[in-house]
Amino acid sequence: MRLTGRTALITGAARGLGRACALRFAEEGADLVLFDLGEHLDEVPYALGTPEQLEHTAGLCRKSGAGVLTATGDVRDPDTVARAVEAATDRFGRIDVLVNNAGIAAPSGKDLHLVEEREWSVMLDVNLSGAWRMTKAVVPGMLARRSGSVVNIASTAGLVGYRHFAGYVASKHGLIGLTRAAALDYAPLKVRVNAVCPGSVRDDPLVDGRMLGEIARSLDVPVHEHEETFVQRQPSNELVEPDDVAAAALWLASDESRRVTGSVITVDGGFTVW
Amino acid sequence: MSSSAAVEPGRACHGLAVRLPSAPRTDELQARLTRATGCRPALKNLRLWAEPVGLPSGDPVALRRRAAESRRALAPGGPGLRAVLLTYDDGPADLVLVAHRAVLGREGLARLASALTAADAAPPAVGEPPAACEAPTATRRLPAWGLGDPERTGAHAAVALNVQARASDEDLLAAVPLVLARYEEGERPGTGVVREEEEECGGPPDFPDGERPSVGTVLTRARPGQVYEPCAAPLFPLTLWWERGEDGTVRGECRFDEDAMASEIAVRFALQVVRTAERLGNRSPGACGTDGAATVAEAAGMTAEEATEVLAAGAAPPPAGHTPVTVHAAFEAVAAAQPEAVAYSGPDGTLGYAELDRRAEHRARALRRLGAGPGTLIGVCLERGADPVTVMLAVLKSGAAYVPMDVRHPRERLRNTAEDAGVTVVVTGAAGFPAPAGTRVTSPEELDRMGDDCHADDGTGSGLRAAPEDPAYVIFTSGSTGRPKGVVVPHRNVSALLAATRHDMRLGPGDVWTWFHSGAFDFSVWEIWGCLLTGGRLVAVPYWASREAGEFRALLAAERVTVLSQTPSAFAQLIEADRGAAGDLAVRLVVLGGEPLDVRVLKGWFDRHPPAHCRVVNMFGITETTVHVTSRTVTAGEMVRRSRSVGTALPGWSVSVRDAEGRPVPFGAAGEIWVGGTGVALHYLGRPDLTAERFVEDPFGGGRMYRSGDRGRLRPDGGLDHLGRMDNQVQLRGFRIELDEIRAGLLEHPAVRAAGVVMAAGPDGDPAGARLDAYVVLGAPASPGGIRGSLGRTLPDYMVPSTVTVVEELPLTVNGKVDTARLPPPALGSADDGTAEAAAPGGEGPVHVILDIWRRVLGTAVTADDDFFELGGNSLLAVRISAAMRDAGLPSVGLREFYLNPTVRGLEAAMTAR
Repeated sequence: MRLTGRTALITGAARGLGRACALRFAEEGADLVLFDLGEHLDEVPYALGTPEQLEHTAGLCRKSGAGVLTATGDVRDPDTVARAVEAATDRFGRIDVLVNNAGIAAPSGKDLHLVEEREWSVMLDVNLSGAWRMTKAVVPGMLARRSGSVVNIASTAGLVGYRHFAGYVASKHGLIGLTRAAALDYAPLKVRVNAVCPGSVRDDPLVDGRMLGEIARSLDVPVHEHEETFVQRQPSNELVEPDDVAAAALWLASDESRRVTGSVITVDGGFTVW
Repeated sequence: MSSSAAVEPGRACHGLAVRLPSAPRTDELQARLTRATGCRPALKNLRLWAEPVGLPSGDPVALRRRAAESRRALAPGGPGLRAVLLTYDDGPADLVLVAHRAVLGREGLARLASALTAADAAPPAVGEPPAACEAPTATRRLPAWGLGDPERTGAHAAVALNVQARASDEDLLAAVPLVLARYEEGERPGTGVVREEEEECGGPPDFPDGERPSVGTVLTRARPGQVYEPCAAPLFPLTLWWERGEDGTVRGECRFDEDAMASEIAVRFALQVVRTAERLGNRSPGACGTDGAATVAEAAGMTAEEATEVLAAGAAPPPAGHTPVTVHAAFEAVAAAQPEAVAYSGPDGTLGYAELDRRAEHRARALRRLGAGPGTLIGVCLERGADPVTVMLAVLKSGAAYVPMDVRHPRERLRNTAEDAGVTVVVTGAAGFPAPAGTRVTSPEELDRMGDDCHADDGTGSGLRAAPEDPAYVIFTSGSTGRPKGVVVPHRNVSALLAATRHDMRLGPGDVWTWFHSGAFDFSVWEIWGCLLTGGRLVAVPYWASREAGEFRALLAAERVTVLSQTPSAFAQLIEADRGAAGDLAVRLVVLGGEPLDVRVLKGWFDRHPPAHCRVVNMFGITETTVHVTSRTVTAGEMVRRSRSVGTALPGWSVSVRDAEGRPVPFGAAGEIWVGGTGVALHYLGRPDLTAERFVEDPFGGGRMYRSGDRGRLRPDGGLDHLGRMDNQVQLRGFRIELDEIRAGLLEHPAVRAAGVVMAAGPDGDPAGARLDAYVVLGAPASPGGIRGSLGRTLPDYMVPSTVTVVEELPLTVNGKVDTARLPPPALGSADDGTAEAAAPGGEGPVHVILDIWRRVLGTAVTADDDFFELGGNSLLAVRISAAMRDAGLPSVGLREFYLNPTVRGLEAAMTAR
């Protein structure tokens, strides 16, 4: 098992890619701190992960033998973040891996001059500043041990533009910039920071995925039509599965990537190489 | 090896799990926890972590989960105690407490567990948690025998041993140094001990200033209803933990750092400790004096089962269906099968198989007429070409064995060889062969003429033929000391060598082999007979082409050579020549042998000839065991991992690693390589004493074996690591030093492409002036001082060479090995790199007086800015210089001042400043 004896903190773990990562990590022997907002955000036009979904993720991971601590909180609030990290350190002694997965896809679906101040702010505060806050809280312990891996779940939207998604695209481009700068800050102290850029991930009911559906809704197109469009634009002619992304995150979390830092790995079926 | 780990809080933590028949209410448990520990401010708000496991209590995954929880280290700077309640689907629960030893000892953990689960139990005294400590832990010894993975630094493993032993604590402790001695011969390493009763004093002994022993033992007692875990991280790189049950038996587990130990080694070590302890316990009661001592000696060795395991791992069964034949019979079979195929080509023309056979038969008649036959030895001293091949074959056909001699060897050596071998005939092309009296000197041409005179019925056409057990050749090898000795190798060994390699290397009629090496070097036995007994074409490499890599490379291309045998040193030069050369090569197999291989030299080769097109096989071999012993295909991956393994034994051969008494040592331990099986030669010619010393009957049932004098270690998969010659170990000022280890250290430097190290005696053979001189070939710019400095980071001071001299290439012997005798004098200090002007001797003033003293004592040119230590200085010479300065009326200087001011100018300035 590739993560035996390691503790990983995963944000946005109630469902979707966060859950996929949690399940994969648990199978590889990791103990987990699962973090999620677990409540509604007014600015976000779709339902976010719930505490029940977070507990469901935890229960699935425990079946694999993982020790799991769940925590609800907002990555926009530094105090909440600090408390969660402190509890995680008390419970598990240390955090070896941080997966910054929490993110929102909407409010989106319009030209950028139509985006409102609060819509812009929430997007950047969750997707970009949230990862910064969590990293800021977790990294000191890693630096003291001269060991740790931070995996930022960015997006192909961090590499190319998407029409009507200015805030999302800007936040994910920012997250890749943060990845590269943090990698340089910490490389001498053996703490690695990398990013994974998923393309269009299928909404797998097993992980309660709904990202693709919400993007379709933002664009006001039926989900199946949106999926169809993406599949056609995908060199591999198929959507990415949540577990594909978890596999990349697992590799970056494990010792197999011990000399890898500052890298940006696309898991997009070739979408960005068109 | 040693490594300084970052903070390792787990070493100070231990854990206890207590099974509860049903899950208690968490609020009650939390309240009791607060009551029991709240007296300490740091523990006032200690939280109980309750977590469902989601599985039945007996599920193996659940048991693993509890074990992981009990050895989960606490965060540094935290409260020093953690309480976790694991609840199971079928009702029961486990209370798991993990504490820093300063907070709670073993007894304290048990009492806290009672206080939390029973209302009336009194809580233990709770200690103050230690402040977060960022200081590195004591330096660990990473034992080479552990075969740990350096990339796993910081990772730990826990393995339960499937044993239930009755050995006493004392025997378990006494067994550790006995077992350790099998791994670390000649050393008296300390071992660590932690006993449960001592743990109440705040924890196990730390090793702040010294080195933590590589192996330590933890002794605890099982208590009903409690599952104890003595350490969250191994207390010692290999920690053996014995827990004695109520019935008096012990169960064992081992904990180890994965960068220090491989699991196979750790577990075997632990099991050896159990068996040794049990044997110690079986000493007859009251035995003392010699009886008792004898049993201890007996217990110190491996058991028969343990020995059988390591011996089996190093032995490879012979290929099925192989029948030994003579070399000439095997050749005749090939010649009959492909009479027209080209057997030989060279500057002197080509020969088909049938023609070669016919000519050899012709010369064999002549040799028989000269008295050749079974039991006789015929010298062959001919330049590489068709003649020596036909003559060697003719000798074998005549029933005699051949003694190859190098035409370039000094006359004295040729005479000695002919004399020691007692050759009756020497076939040579050179005039004036220094034949001893009574030896007939002839030439291939004369043999041909004599053959023409032979008649069908004169008896020379037939005669006694050699049997597979009879000698085929005698090769003289020069040992490190003394006169060369003749190794007598029978026919059957050559046929076994081909049987062992033919299939694996796909040797066949399509192959073109080079004959590169001197006939006096047994690598040529492989080249000549490897080719001719598998139907290939043998290409003789003219002497000048064997010395000039560019010419040789052109020959490989022109002749479409497919099978190339080289020493690593020569191959490194070929790789250089290949780099800029035009024209494809057809080489599909490179066989490296004769010297240790530094796999990094292969990079240039793999860049141009990927392993998919050309296989590179590294072979470790010895003349006394018929050219080769082990083989290993070197992949690009192994090159990257800098593997030092020479692979596993050839089918029919066996390798084992023995101690000085000939007993097998465990996997991982270093010792002398012994070789057995079908490759072992008959004896040393005319040297019964030496034969008896080196060719021995294996007391462990391996048959006749050859003690190689090489150091190695065997891995559990049967792979052999070659660690250099036993006699490459030199003594320098009381230190035993492996020159090969220094060489390996030099090769670690990214700019160093090849390296050699020699020990030089001091001026006039003065042992105090003895020093190590290193020679390096650079692949990138680097300063000798920088290389020396980088070596100082990995090797102890006494192993850092006094001088590092850059050379264009390392001179090679006729056999392609580094010729230490032809190395230039070492470059001493800066005097050689032209940056400092050498001060003329005989001037005036204290600087010149000191300079004169240094020159006299060091025996070399010195400038005022030369570094004393780079000139070969050491503490003994410093003392002498100090005395000489005092005699010259200068102030005496202490050793400390020498180290602080290691130049003449610096020393003078320090004296003036006083």
